[in-house]
Amino acid sequence: MQQEVVLALLAKEPSHGYQLRARLRQALGPLGEGMNAGQVYVTLTRLEKAGLVVAEQAAGLPDRPDRKVYELTPAGQQRVAGWLAEVSWPGPAPAEFHLKLVAAAAARLADPLTIVDVQRRELLLRLRDAQRAAMAEPDGSEAGLLLEGLVLRLQADLRWLEACERHWTSRRDGS
Amino acid sequence: MTEDALLSCRDLRKTYGKDAGLVRAVDGVDLDVAAGETVAIMGPSGCGKSTLLHLLGGLDRPSGGEVRLASRRVDQMSERALARLRQDAVGFVFQAFHLMDELTAVENVELPALLAGRPARAARRRATELMERVGLAERAGFLPTALSGGQRQRVAIARAVANEPAVVLADEPTGNLDSAATLEVLRLFESLHAAGQTLVIVTHDSRIAATADRMISMRDGTFIDETRLTGGTRGDLGALAGLEGWS
Amino acid sequence: MSRLRLVGRLAARDLRNRPGQAVLMLLAITAATATLTLGLVLHGVTSQPYQQTRAASRGPDEVAYLGSPPAAGLAPGSAAPAAGTKLVKQVRSQAAALARAPGVTASSGPYPLAGALVRAKGLTAGAEAEGRDGAPASVDQPRLTAGSWVRPGGVVLERTFAAGLGVGTGDRITLNGRPFTVTGIAVTAANPPYPNLCYYSGGGCRAGPPGNGSPRDIGLLWLTRPDALSLATPANPVTTYVVDLKLKDPAAADAFALRYDEGFGPPEMISWTGIAAADALLVQDEQQVLTPGAWLAALLAIASVAVLAGGRMTQRTRRVGLLKAVGGSPGLITATLMAENLVLALVAAAAGLVIGWPAAPLLTSPGAALVGTPGAPSLTVPIAGLVLAVALAVALAATTVPAVRAARGSTVGALADAPRPPRRRPRLLALSRRLPVPLLLGLRLVARRPRRALLGAANVAITMAGVVAVLTFHATAGQRVNGGGSGLSDPVYNRDEQVLLVLTVTLLALAALNAVVTAWTTMLDTRHPAALARALGATPRNVAAGLTAAQLLPAVPGALLGIPLGLGLFAAADHGGRLTVPPAWWLAVAVLATLAAVAGLAAIPARVGARRPAAEILQAETA
Repeated sequence: MQQEVVLALLAKEPSHGYQLRARLRQALGPLGEGMNAGQVYVTLTRLEKAGLVVAEQAAGLPDRPDRKVYELTPAGQQRVAGWLAEVSWPGPAPAEFHLKLVAAAAARLADPLTIVDVQRRELLLRLRDAQRAAMAEPDGSEAGLLLEGLVLRLQADLRWLEACERHWTSRRDGS
Repeated sequence: MTEDALLSCRDLRKTYGKDAGLVRAVDGVDLDVAAGETVAIMGPSGCGKSTLLHLLGGLDRPSGGEVRLASRRVDQMSERALARLRQDAVGFVFQAFHLMDELTAVENVELPALLAGRPARAARRRATELMERVGLAERAGFLPTALSGGQRQRVAIARAVANEPAVVLADEPTGNLDSAATLEVLRLFESLHAAGQTLVIVTHDSRIAATADRMISMRDGTFIDETRLTGGTRGDLGALAGLEGWS
Repeated sequence: MSRLRLVGRLAARDLRNRPGQAVLMLLAITAATATLTLGLVLHGVTSQPYQQTRAASRGPDEVAYLGSPPAAGLAPGSAAPAAGTKLVKQVRSQAAALARAPGVTASSGPYPLAGALVRAKGLTAGAEAEGRDGAPASVDQPRLTAGSWVRPGGVVLERTFAAGLGVGTGDRITLNGRPFTVTGIAVTAANPPYPNLCYYSGGGCRAGPPGNGSPRDIGLLWLTRPDALSLATPANPVTTYVVDLKLKDPAAADAFALRYDEGFGPPEMISWTGIAAADALLVQDEQQVLTPGAWLAALLAIASVAVLAGGRMTQRTRRVGLLKAVGGSPGLITATLMAENLVLALVAAAAGLVIGWPAAPLLTSPGAALVGTPGAPSLTVPIAGLVLAVALAVALAATTVPAVRAARGSTVGALADAPRPPRRRPRLLALSRRLPVPLLLGLRLVARRPRRALLGAANVAITMAGVVAVLTFHATAGQRVNGGGSGLSDPVYNRDEQVLLVLTVTLLALAALNAVVTAWTTMLDTRHPAALARALGATPRNVAAGLTAAQLLPAVPGALLGIPLGLGLFAAADHGGRLTVPPAWWLAVAVLATLAAVAGLAAIPARVGARRPAAEILQAETA
């Protein structure tokens, strides 16, 4: 995913690596703070090898990735266009947790309700953090939008966990 | 009971009907809320959380058990004493807002002070301050019908804190609001919490619950579980957002 | 056919679901129809009596008074009046001439008229004593309503006179000091009944007792001829004889009278139309009282219905919305709503007729010379039809117009069923802020629903007007009663009093119904703001006081307005007679009692409401 993102960021105009990094930071807000500084350059080098970007050496500067100006090739542009048109969506991934509960109950390894409660607490804490981060963002910031997406998904996951709790409680009471 | 608990109840019960039609809305609840704490009570509909809140605030009488607020026995108070309680010690926020439609926002906010017998001018001054505090100063003269849902609830919250109550009880405050309005109300609750206000919020919205110091799950009239929401998270938000491998 | 059944089922279900409102509506319309029935039946009865009496007693078309004029009225220089046997001969020849006159088909008399002073049961009155034969006369044979006809030593009294004296068959009275026994009571069409006996003779009756008694204190009685003649004294001899005539053409009675009347002095001719008019005086008074009273009652009933209809409307609006949303056409909905009201109106009309009709005789019992009134007056088809029409009109008008509006209005709006938003009155709100809490709440509650406050004030004003009119009647009549102070009960006054009593009771009952209806609908409307006020810290006492204040605030100007309204009502009904304003303390008591009643009726729902936990109310209702 990172490759396509970098490609798309280059579509507007050729840029230095540090410019790209700054743009990413801005879009990700606090979530971008953990980003590895060199990650962008590694990606750019890979893209260059794949022929999707070309690097231009600024005259008079040493041959270092962070001094180059990168530009999209036609192949790169095609790739970007294709990526923008994609409609796949990273789906929710509840299967692992669900199977965890089933296995724990079947093998009597642990009480499914305890697992649910622990997970719920964890998610609540994450929700709290995401929410705080979201509220700290100014209105209309791009990062704020991303954080809101996080919050809403965590909410949805928590609702499912409540459903899990109801199900496993009635299983326990019924059996 | 914990000595420094601002609000507490023991073995609180409320039943309706009898024999075959007996409904145990609240069935033996113990709770202690310390001053400055925010407690969220979550549960499915019909679990009795709203009833519990009404019992805590003296809007309804319990069938059994006791409620103490600032070391006064609430469940045994006369109606008149309960009214005093609601004047000084308890502020309510309702899901349906319950603003008076024919009063402007600021007139709604000053109403508790007027009902407590405070002089009109002081009441108006405090109400105007509160409108500023909730960020609606320029809408002070608007009627509720001219305000959005989130704005109305903010006015209702301002009304709830008008008489500087010891505790604010909120019953599904974001139940009728969309997510943008919920955010407005969330911010307000956070600022109240930061100012040291004790809050007990009944909700089924986990976003609200996430702002609390403690979250209590309730089902069929009793507390099931309690989660302390202090301490850091072990997870990484970036990974949740899909940024694995970026760092 | 299926549509009709559907309409019927929907209407029936709606009535069953809300029985309380249906019953109240029924009561209000029934009160109106009962009063209307009473008024109409009485009107029918009281406008017929003279004809009935005339038919029953062979009433004359013409009454001739022959004889010599009273000595005091003679012009100086005219011939001395005849007296004694000379008079009798003169009278006999005049009577024979009249009997032979063209157009006369029958005659009876001449009967002597003597003046007498009556003493009975401690009361004193004057009387005209007519000397009669034991055998029935061919014209003007008074119809007995009790006892038997004249015999030596016995008198028969005219009915109203007997009632005024409080005398019945078998009682002993004295005439000019001589004892007589009352053998019977009768009515006649030849004279207006007491106290209007001397209506046509100006200052004194033809044969009244001398003295300065009021001419209203003279009544009619019959004796045997010898007994009547024996009442003559030298100071008050028998100077007048009366002859009763029947004409071929009763309509020509007035022309006949003109031809034979000599102007002042005998022979004096009174035609039956004049007597009927005098007889009607008794009745006119009643109608003057009945008509405005009935109007007041009708107004109150309509006000009740309007308040009820307004209250029902809010729940009905949602049902209308539901019906429309599932496909009901405006026509179907209107039909359903009308069907409900039709049923209520029909039942109310029937109930009103059933209640009003037997109540009429209660008002027509003794005190008037009415024949045939004991027993039920007839309930004619026109009366029933009119009552039914009015009931339908009231029910339909009060409820159909808003229903049709709802049916044609927006479905979405109806489903949302927001009751009319409360009004906002910034000045009243600003004013209320500075008042103590109960007045703050009361004033704000009034400001929310100004129309209902106005209706409440109107109710109180109308009731007060009725009460003040009654008080004014008592004050005025108290001044006018029998100037001579003879102590006889004035039948006019008695009748008016009875009628007024019934009307007052009806008015008060309607007013109470009205107040209950208003208090109930107000309680429903104020449940939410009252609960909210309690949730925000208002003490229950303050809330109850506020609810009571909300009812009292419009009642005060209503009560005060009712005073001039009542006076004006009385003046209008009395046709400009001089009225006496009741003493100030009567009015003050009336106002205070009314306000106390309003406050009391308002306090009941207020206290009931205060018991219910605020939480329930707030959960159930929004704004």
